[in-house]
Amino acid sequence: MKTRLPLPLHLQYWDLFLIELSNWRWGWRNLALTGTVLPLFGILLLGSFARELGAYALSFVLVGNLVMALLFEHMGKLISHFAYMKVAGSLDYFATLPIRKNVLILAASTAFFILFLPSLVVVLAGGAWILRLELHIHPLAFAVVPLCALPLAGIGALLGVSFRTPEEASAAGRLLTILMLTIGPVLIPPDRLPDWLVWLGFLSPATYAASALRQVVLGPLTSRLLLDFAVLAGCVLISFRLVDRKMDWREG
Amino acid sequence: MKNRSNSVYSVSRLTKTYPGKDTPANDDISFNVQQGEIFGLLGDNGAGKSTLVKQMANLVRPTRGSVNLYGRPVQEEPLLVPRFVGYMPQTARTLNSLTVSEALYFTSHLRGCGRQESNCERERLVQLWELHDIRTELCSRLSGGQQRLLQLAAAMAGQPPILILDEPTNELSPQRRRHVWETLRAENSKRGTTIIFITHDAIEAEKIIQQVGIMRRGRLAALGKPSDLKKQLDQQLRLELRFQPESPPVLPLGLQPQKLSEDHWIVRLDQHQVEAALSGLDFSRIDDFQLHSATLEDLYLHYT
Repeated sequence: MKTRLPLPLHLQYWDLFLIELSNWRWGWRNLALTGTVLPLFGILLLGSFARELGAYALSFVLVGNLVMALLFEHMGKLISHFAYMKVAGSLDYFATLPIRKNVLILAASTAFFILFLPSLVVVLAGGAWILRLELHIHPLAFAVVPLCALPLAGIGALLGVSFRTPEEASAAGRLLTILMLTIGPVLIPPDRLPDWLVWLGFLSPATYAASALRQVVLGPLTSRLLLDFAVLAGCVLISFRLVDRKMDWREG
Repeated sequence: MKNRSNSVYSVSRLTKTYPGKDTPANDDISFNVQQGEIFGLLGDNGAGKSTLVKQMANLVRPTRGSVNLYGRPVQEEPLLVPRFVGYMPQTARTLNSLTVSEALYFTSHLRGCGRQESNCERERLVQLWELHDIRTELCSRLSGGQQRLLQLAAAMAGQPPILILDEPTNELSPQRRRHVWETLRAENSKRGTTIIFITHDAIEAEKIIQQVGIMRRGRLAALGKPSDLKKQLDQQLRLELRFQPESPPVLPLGLQPQKLSEDHWIVRLDQHQVEAALSGLDFSRIDDFQLHSATLEDLYLHYT
């Protein structure tokens, strides 16, 4: 009779990451289409309005659409994924294996982020070309981009398991996405927004994600990046802590 | 309930009422499962069987009562069940993006087997459950029966000492069902695996069940060895008759059939009635008949 010890955490992570990454087998067409085509259309549409306002406004269009893609595609996919896992019994399967819940969430988040990365690159390059913006990609982008994605992934996982059906979870996710896009200077420059909306934006992680992304892909870097970095890192810690505490994969 | 020292599971006064429901899904259930025992749970749909095994697998939080595994409460030690129990859920739609081979490898590895051991375990399970032809298929493309076999194999991956199986033979052909029961019996005698399962396949399951619990409306209506429980039933024999619905058989006077369907009756007979009943039947109107003593299915029908 064999009883075994759980795998070390890094091996748990690697297995779960590969399991989650295998979702490309069914999801790549969807990811390519909605993760690339929709944001590029958004850039085309909003860019035609913002062109006469100059490069500063266009930078918000480009980065705002990147954030929108992150919210709709990355967070949205994780909401659907966790909601489906709950309904299909996959969470029961994982719950009866000797693995850590937060390792599963981290593995799913990173796997879906990697699946989303090609779309992000295409949208960035295509959007810059459409808007005739010059990209100045700073090496810090390799740290900032995952940092923007991870807190959204944590929120996505939490929403996915908190609602009774995938439909309810997706609806809540869409509502949250719209709220995060509209409060704060994400798609629209702050000088075009009422003050109260700018101030309210300080409560939204999307504001800090947009600010950090703008600096690392278009430049210049300012001291504001430190604040953005700190807030996003804090959001990662808080969201994963929250998911770990609140996400009970037992029913009732 | 007495907690005997070789109990693997000890369930005590377990009750579950789901939020928003007035009646409990299961109510005041107590029993023990011994080391190396094959424990079958029977009961009608909605009787609370799946809730009970989910509570035992620590997937559903009890409203009252406790579930102890090796004397320790499952709720308080999150890794207790995952370390010792292989669980097969009723739904079979997990790991859809993996191939059969990958699903078995990862399940073994995540249960703590080394890489090489996981590869061996995968080969053993492919062999055991005859999954050769579908090993490279995506799980999402498997038929219901193939998914069932994969879930069984995944539950056994890493050879956990306890298996909890929620309707393991659902959607399987008769040959496959027989193979499942034979394999589970072999697993139990070879490795001493404790097996707890839910089934509606009472006739086949009877060959391996050592202790049975019969649930009715959330409560344990009967619990014990099938042979002991059968003694509590009447000593009548069962004559099962199958026939064409348009020409039902004419029974000798005084015999009343229990009509299970339009082409399937059961007639209960005292021993002295058997000869007269058989000689009085017109066999040209009967497709098939069986005469037998009380079965697990009779117990199931009696208590539910």
